[in-house]
Amino acid sequence: MPDTVIDTYQEQMQELQGSLPGWDGARSNALDRLRTIGLPTTRGEDWRYSDIKAIRNTAFGLMKTPARNPQVPEALCDVAARLVFINGRYHEGLSDLGDLWQAASVRPLANHLMANAERVSEMRQGGDGINLLNTALMRDGFVISIPAGIEIDDPIEIVHLTSDADSTSAHIRHLVEMGEGASATVLERFVGDDTAYWSNSMLQARITEGATLNHVRLQEEGANATHTATAMVSVGAGGNYHATNISLGGSLARFEARVRLLVDEANATVDGVALAGTGESHDMLVHIDHRMPNTTSDQIFRTVADARGKSSFQGKVTVATDAQHVNADQSFKALLLDRTAEANAKPELEIFADDVKCSHGATVGELDEKAMFYLTSRGIDPTTARQMLVEAFTDDAFDRTGNDTLADGIRARVADWMLNHTGGSND
Amino acid sequence: MLTVKDLHVAVDDKEIIKGLSLEIKPGEVHAIMGLNGAGKSTLANTIAGRDDYELTSGSIEFEGKDLMELEPHERVGEGLFLGFQYPVEIPGVSNLNFMRTALNGVRKYRGEDEVSAAEFMKLVRAKASELKMDPDMLKRFVNVGFSGGEKKRNEMVQMAVLDPKLAVLDETDSGLDIDALKVVADGINAQRRDDTAILLITHYQRLLNYVQPDVVHVMIDGKIVKTGGPELAAELEEKGYAEVA
Repeated sequence: MPDTVIDTYQEQMQELQGSLPGWDGARSNALDRLRTIGLPTTRGEDWRYSDIKAIRNTAFGLMKTPARNPQVPEALCDVAARLVFINGRYHEGLSDLGDLWQAASVRPLANHLMANAERVSEMRQGGDGINLLNTALMRDGFVISIPAGIEIDDPIEIVHLTSDADSTSAHIRHLVEMGEGASATVLERFVGDDTAYWSNSMLQARITEGATLNHVRLQEEGANATHTATAMVSVGAGGNYHATNISLGGSLARFEARVRLLVDEANATVDGVALAGTGESHDMLVHIDHRMPNTTSDQIFRTVADARGKSSFQGKVTVATDAQHVNADQSFKALLLDRTAEANAKPELEIFADDVKCSHGATVGELDEKAMFYLTSRGIDPTTARQMLVEAFTDDAFDRTGNDTLADGIRARVADWMLNHTGGSND
Repeated sequence: MLTVKDLHVAVDDKEIIKGLSLEIKPGEVHAIMGLNGAGKSTLANTIAGRDDYELTSGSIEFEGKDLMELEPHERVGEGLFLGFQYPVEIPGVSNLNFMRTALNGVRKYRGEDEVSAAEFMKLVRAKASELKMDPDMLKRFVNVGFSGGEKKRNEMVQMAVLDPKLAVLDETDSGLDIDALKVVADGINAQRRDDTAILLITHYQRLLNYVQPDVVHVMIDGKIVKTGGPELAAELEEKGYAEVA
């Protein structure tokens, strides 16, 4: 990583001094560390499938507010609240907190840190170069805190819109805290125009005893965007974290979920669908850390790649010594629509306990020509037939979004994607 | 309705059909009988438009249209139906969604409105009931976990829903017990009308006891070697292919 790039980020960091209460020290520590370790390269195991050379060698500017507000996409279902971020900044006018503020605490990160200076220490400050840059250049985010026993039925939607943002980056941090027995769905959406921007977000979640968080991510960044995102999640006794990551946009997209199952009976499901269009790279890395006995996890990933598209999955499961009776399953299936498409699957199981059940499976294949002929021989046109087969292929990854209307809305997005990506050489 | 003239078809550069001609008129049921490897399934798949079957010469016309100019789904829109020897399993696609999409595909091709959900359910339930199909099977994934007989019955329900002008049924009788065979035969007979035609492709005479053909052809090594009335099927059964041909 060239010094000039780091120096530019140093200047940006100085510009941000004082913008988040109590955070300045974390910023400069992170930047010092970044100067040492640099941004990730494909030589490191975790980033072997995502080549971010372009980002490593170029200093991105701080994202600026666009001259005109972009169109906010329609909601996919009824929502409890809608938080809108434009070019990395919270936009109060376009947001709608609904009645959520009555049941839960929902506020911008700056307000949270102002009121709770001591909680800075709970915010993640380390990690890889991508996380460090998030720490160093973070400007905005939301803190959603659901009190014990409160169940929020409709999703809390966070829309990240990016527009007119060439060569600039936004580093957002959200915190989600689930009180005992609370439940909620957080729907993160990412939408952008065709400028070459970089969106680097992080969501930290703490799920306490018996609480459930559904975390749904619908990533529809612009065609030239780079999208990097990290979820850092800890789950307490009997708590549940259900993540569904749908990766449709961007030229390079990567989502990393690190989940620690800290107490007995904690459960995590991390599912995902990635549709890699022509020349795109979509990468998902999951690490589920079973620290204690009787914890369970399941991962279902389905990816589809068109010409020169690349989909990658790394699923790591660790089971600590004495974490007996752990159940951990993992299923990855990739569909290649073209001969030049690529799929990578890397299951990693590190098991230090002896009485556990862990399974993993991975398959890579093409659209079934026999099924295609069968469908078309019943009067279904080839485009619709491909859509049906891809939908069927991806379908079981949508079962745990916790909201049927939302799941159907996402399915429709997948079908739309198929209209434009039918795998030319299979015609 | 269907006119096949001097058809030559190759699969992987190997000629399978070697000059076959056939004329089927509305209201007729034809049976093509032949041993394994005679090219019967190749003929059925070529008519339906499977793309790894290469027509090297000759022509297939369906109601005056050159079938080779049409994609498989367009042929269905024109009124063609292929009953598969080995119906394909499609995990993740429900039978109902499959049939409704198929019917709407055909309607769209013909410039008709899509069928409403209620209308479709009424139609498909009626057809399933006529063919004694368990309604639960409509909700299951297409052919997944179906027995051989259930798969063939499912083919008949699809045929009834699409109501084709010409049904080409490839070994629809294979692998069926006698009860299933009767159900399939009933399905075929129900599709038999003055304005429709049926081409049965079969190895054995068995099905023809329940579906009386008007014309029987004997196919050997890519050609029709003999054509006659229903008595030809009985003769084949009695004397075998070698002697009759």
